[in-house]
Formats: sequence, structure tokens, C-alpha cells
Amino acid sequence: MKTAMKKRVVITGVGLVSCLGTSSALFHRQLCGGTDGAGRIVEGDPQGMRIPLAGRISCFEPELYLKGRSLRPLDRTGQLLASAAQMALDNSGWAAEALRRTDVGLVLGTMFGSMHTISEFDRRCLIEGPACVSPMNFANTVINSAAGQTAIWHNLRGMNSTTATGATSGLVAIGYAADLIQCGRQTAILAGGADEFCFEASYGLERAGLSSNAGHEAECFTPFDARRSGMRLAEAGALVVLEDWDSALARGATVLGEIRGHANCYNPKWNQPGHSARGIIRAMRGALEDARLSPPEIDYISAGANGSLAGDRNEGLAIKAVFNGQSDQVPITAIKSGIGETLGAAGALQAIDLLETMCSGTLPGIAGLEQVDAELADLNLCCKPTCVDVDSGMISSVGFDGHACSLIISKPPAQV
Amino acid sequence: MTHSSAVAVTGLGMVTSIGTGRQKFWDAVLGGRCGFGPVKSFDTHKYRVHVGAEISDFCADDYVLEPQSASIGRTSQLAIAASRLALQDGSLDLSSVNRSRVGVYVGTTSGEPHCIERFDERYVQGRMDEVGAEFLNGYPCHVVPFHIAHELDLAGEVMMIPTACAAGNYAIAHACDLLGHGKADYMLAGGADSFSRITYTGFARLGAIAPELCQPFDRNRKGMIPGEGAAILLLEPTTRAVARGARIYCEIAGYGLSCDAHHMTAAHPDGEGAARAIRLALQHSGLEPRDVDYISAHGTGTLTNDRLETIAVKKALGSHAYNVPISSVKSMLGHTMGAASAIEAAVCALAIAYGRIPPTMHWRDRDSECDLDYVANSARNHEVRVAMNNAYAFGGNNSSLILTARSSSAS
Repeated sequence: MKTAMKKRVVITGVGLVSCLGTSSALFHRQLCGGTDGAGRIVEGDPQGMRIPLAGRISCFEPELYLKGRSLRPLDRTGQLLASAAQMALDNSGWAAEALRRTDVGLVLGTMFGSMHTISEFDRRCLIEGPACVSPMNFANTVINSAAGQTAIWHNLRGMNSTTATGATSGLVAIGYAADLIQCGRQTAILAGGADEFCFEASYGLERAGLSSNAGHEAECFTPFDARRSGMRLAEAGALVVLEDWDSALARGATVLGEIRGHANCYNPKWNQPGHSARGIIRAMRGALEDARLSPPEIDYISAGANGSLAGDRNEGLAIKAVFNGQSDQVPITAIKSGIGETLGAAGALQAIDLLETMCSGTLPGIAGLEQVDAELADLNLCCKPTCVDVDSGMISSVGFDGHACSLIISKPPAQV
Repeated sequence: MTHSSAVAVTGLGMVTSIGTGRQKFWDAVLGGRCGFGPVKSFDTHKYRVHVGAEISDFCADDYVLEPQSASIGRTSQLAIAASRLALQDGSLDLSSVNRSRVGVYVGTTSGEPHCIERFDERYVQGRMDEVGAEFLNGYPCHVVPFHIAHELDLAGEVMMIPTACAAGNYAIAHACDLLGHGKADYMLAGGADSFSRITYTGFARLGAIAPELCQPFDRNRKGMIPGEGAAILLLEPTTRAVARGARIYCEIAGYGLSCDAHHMTAAHPDGEGAARAIRLALQHSGLEPRDVDYISAHGTGTLTNDRLETIAVKKALGSHAYNVPISSVKSMLGHTMGAASAIEAAVCALAIAYGRIPPTMHWRDRDSECDLDYVANSARNHEVRVAMNNAYAFGGNNSSLILTARSSSAS
């Protein structure tokens, strides 16, 4: 295998569709203002069952971003991703003309693809018979269909891949894409993720005991809060444009940040007491090693904490272990307090907000955090917007079943 | 080729409808054995087709330990079996390695489809209260590699790459990059899918399923036959394999991936995307078209795929296309979805190691548009130093993986 010299990987654009808007500046401002985008969990009743209905983006109008063709072939996950891609390409200055000349890639991170499309296709087969299913819907039953649909919509002819590692999928996708650029396989890749809010996923999470106690007195999904009782499912599509630094400069792109390093790993003992933070610790240390940075050089941590009992605690304990002696100083936030758990999109949303934090010098606090979990009392968990000067920030993403990923972003390299 | 980053294939584990384990599989595939039969896992009386390639003799308890064996889906079971077989075949004793540097990348089309199919049945029957934690804990596709890592106590990079019918190639390619970057010592990489009602229904609706036989590249070919299976390759840096005295089947020289960006289920009519993947793979491997000795085709047996794949091979290899033997083992195994390209990568490794090429079975009549050498109906002795493994998928995803005999300079 031919190996080229390692390239530096930079971010040249972002695009997002979320319950806190479709511009990164507005997204950041609303997070700083403590706006709760995912909303309270209310009970829905499609089949006589209690179903939490938070987290669906009520004002999503894909036709604002995807113009001139029928949207019918795209399911909701596909629309979320293709819309985010349009905004990312615009933000990064990739015009349709340039996309005809250059092969741009796409790496999607997703937990489910579209579970609703898959399930509905199968139910139609069961109810009406196999001759009545729609071939167009079948195309979207593959888990990577949103990546295929987005490539078709935007003419992205480069490598098109998909990662699935649960709730960490989106951050893993960014790391995967960064590696492809670093070793010279592709010069530009859209990377991030998407997952839709649907009944099937929501009901499944509820039955698995992972959702907050919807409608109960105890309902609390504030990350790191002592009263937390689980996560809130929400939906989003979010992408960053990664490019090799030289190509980005050559085409005159604005560089927003640099991917310095990343690592992900599985912890086979994740459900054993005393071992559960280990995977997160190894992912954080791995990312630092990959970035050739030491813990004191990290100015800010964007945690993946989503209000889950074990996950938040393990992530907090991991930060303590990795930033030993300094963990009471490095400011930590958790944006899922405002946007809920967006699964595949979460890592990219954290990355987008980290870029905004770097640029604005203000990090969003963890809205609603009033009673910090006693075990995590000595962490610098920011409950209010805080002024920070961030050269390098760490993003952490923690899955429900043993997976963890960390990624480090620095301010753009000085342009020579 | 940078010597230090060369990646060796040192272990092969296959679970298929025609044989489980490297030797049984290889004997079956060279002997032209077929795995087709009436579908047993669900009722097909409402369908116009009834044939599938299911694995009838698989016993999960032979491979999966308690308590996992009771709680995981069939795809995970097949994938765990393939992983154990690959480790055994590669004589790798996990107790002697740093488990945090052993990773697992698996490709799939559907992950654990039976979990959602059961959910759908309950929905239709109004028995949703019976849905428990096992649904969400068992369904998302990432659980397949997670279950492998849990079973084998591995703590490296673990990822599902669900790029549908080409997923095995994507997983192997990405695993090679990870090893090349020095981020892992060993990788278990491949693909797995279990027989799915959803997949079968969809392909039946598209009219893509053959009524009886899968006949890739034949003039009267009638389609593909859905199947199931798993294949896992044990990959490690060649330097490490040599140092531990492992048998090396071949090396992975490079890969090419491209996207048609044209249509979800139909390949671009000029075959350009697939040709681009082949060119990228050759370029990445530092090879010329004339170097290719064997192609393991995607060869699904559908009218369009086989015609377009033939066009793509001609476009990318020029006149050399007519000198290269090409075979499709889907003529025996059916289309095992995400597992297919991993099984076919194993076929390439074995062809290189043993100098034998498996046949394309059920080939009877020449199609004027498929006029290459498809190794019809019987295996052939042929020295293979460079093998290319093609795989294509929904979304217009094209992949070509290049496997090569270990260069003598590396020894």
C-alpha cells in the first residue's frame, strides 16, 4: 500500500439541522442562552401506548435547502443529512461547479439509519403482502441510505462510507474521514451524522430503560445532575467539511479549525462495576497521544453526557482520571442539556459548537444543572456561559453499550 | 509499496451455506457446491419466488459462550463463529496479545434484521407491550462487532461499517488503514448478514431474484439469490506475521472506493464509477492493469450488474480484461449481502495461496455483452499473484480491493 506524507486536516465549513436552528451561530447563541430545544417530554398515544414525543424538529422544512427536485426519494434521515450537506457545502464554499471537477467524499455516522423506513416497509409487507411494498422505500432500508441519497443530491463522487457505533457514530465518522484525508486518499470529505426521531427508536429506548421517566415527577435529563433519570431522544443532521490544509488554502477556503487527533475503543467489561470508565479513559488518552498533546494543553471539554445514569458518571470519572490534578480547572460543558441525545448527529454538533466556542470565546453552560452529582463535585462543570480562550478542545462521545470516542480540535493553523 | 506498512492476511474464518471453516468452504467452492434451497426461515407462499441460500447446519452453541449465546441475534452468532474460526486458522492465541490493540471492523447490510422483524410482527398483532429491553439492546447494527469484541474480550477499535452489499470490502480496507497507521496490532475484519425477510421482500419486489439458480454472466441469467453468511479475515502487519511465524495467505495491496452519485438502486449506465474504483485501487497498490491475474466479481446474476461490471472491467483494464479469469462465487452461495465481499476477499486470498480459481457455476450461454473469461463451471489451476475483489452496493457505492502474493523482497 502506498503511503504518502501525513497531511494536516482542517475544517472548512459546517452545516446542521437541529431543534436549535440551522445556523451554527444561532445554535451556539441559543445554547448559551439556555434555550431548551428538545422540549419537555409529552406523552403521545399512537397505539394506546405511552410514548415520549420530545425531540422532533417541528419547523424542519427541507425544501428550503433542497431545491428543484422531488424530495420523495429521501426519508427523514436522508432529508436531515442532505439538508445539512447543502449548508456545509455552502458554508465551505463548494459550488456545484467545483463538485463537478473534484471527487468529494462523505462519511456518515448513524445509529439506526432510518428505523422508521425499515419497520414501515416490513409492516406493509406483513399487512398488505410482499407485492405491495414500495421499491423506492426498499432502497432506503439499507442503513447507509442517507449517505447514498446525499451523494446523489449533491453529486459527491468520492468515497462514501458509513460508520455505526451507536451514539458515538458521528464523532467516529469525523475521525474516520480525518484519517482518509491525512493519508492522502481524499482531499475533501463531508463527515458527521444523522438520526431521525421516530416512534420505533423512541419506543425501543423507552423499553430499554434508557429514556428519562417521561411525564413523571422525577423527569430530569440534565447532564451530570444528581437528579438525572435518563436521556431525551432528539433528531438532527450535522456535518463538517474536512479538507487537507494545502488544498483548502489553494482554493482560498476559510479554515475554522484543525483536527489534531482522535481515538475510539470498545470496553468489553463496560457493564462490570469498577471497569466501566476504562474505555472512555483509553479513548481520551488515545486522542491526546494521537494529537501529541498533554492534558494541560486542553482548554475545554465538550462532554457527551446526556442525562443517563451510568454514562454521565463514567464520563465524569474518566475526565478526572485523565486530567488528574487539573480536572477541577478545565471547563466542561454538555450541550445535550439543550438539544437532547441526537445519536449519530451528536458528535458533529459538539464539534460545530466547539468551533463557535473557539471563535466567540464563550462556552455554553449546562442549562438546568443545579445539583451536581456528588461523585463529580470536583469537576469544573460549567452551569452558565463562561468566557474561555480555547486553543485546543476535546470532544468526548460515550455510547450506551461500551463504546467511547474522543477527538481534539485546535484553532486554525497560522496561515503562512 | 512501503514495506513497513504492508498488511498480511493470516487467518480466514467463513460460515456459509456451502461450508463452514476455511478448508470445507474451499473444497466446496472449488467443487461447485450450491447452497440454494426453499426458504425455511419465513413463509414465502405469498411471494413469486421461494428460493434462498440459508445456512442449515449452523449451531451457535459451538461458538458462542454463555450468557451471550442466549441473548444475541443470528448475525452476531455467525460473525462470532467466523471470528473464532479466523483466529484458529491464523493460530493466534489471544492470551498472548495486547487486547487493547486488537480491533474489529464488520460490514453489513441489515445488522440484526430479525430483531426488527419481530418488533414489526408485534406491532401488527397489537402486542407491543411484549417488546422489552432486548429489542433496542439487540437491534442496532453496531452490536454485531460489539458482540464479537465482548465474546473475545477485545478492547481495540470496534466499528460497524454498514455500507450494504459492498460492506465487507469497506471494513477490510479501513482495517488496513488502521494497521498501516500503527493504531492496532491485529484486526478482525469482514462482513456478516443473516437471512432477512425485509431484504428478501425488497429484492423480490424489484424482480431481482432468480426462481431457481443464480447464473452470473450467462445470457439467460434471471437474477440473484439472497443468502446469508459471515467471513472474518485476521489481518496484521506483515512484519508482525513474519516475526510470529504465521502462515501468510497474501497481502492487501490497496483499495479503491467511489460513488456513482447517480441512483440508489441502479448503477450508472456507463460503468464509470466502478471503473474509477478499479483504477483507484490499482493506483493505490502501485500496480498496472496488466498485473491483475484474477478478479473475484461482484457478479450477482442480475442482468444489469453483470453487464455493467463487465463494461467497468474493460474500461479499467483495457485489452487485458480479456486475459483475466473472472469468477463469481455468488453462483454457489447466492448474495450474502454485507458478508459477500468479505467471503470473496477470502476467496482471493485462497486463490493466491493455492493457485486455484473457483468456477462461475450454471454458466451455459454466452452473452454478447458479457464476453470475458468467466471460468465457467469448473475450477481452474492458475497462478495468481494479484487478485482484485469487486463489490458494489445500493447508493452507487463501488469498491475494489487488491490482494497480492507476498513480495519476495519482504521475506
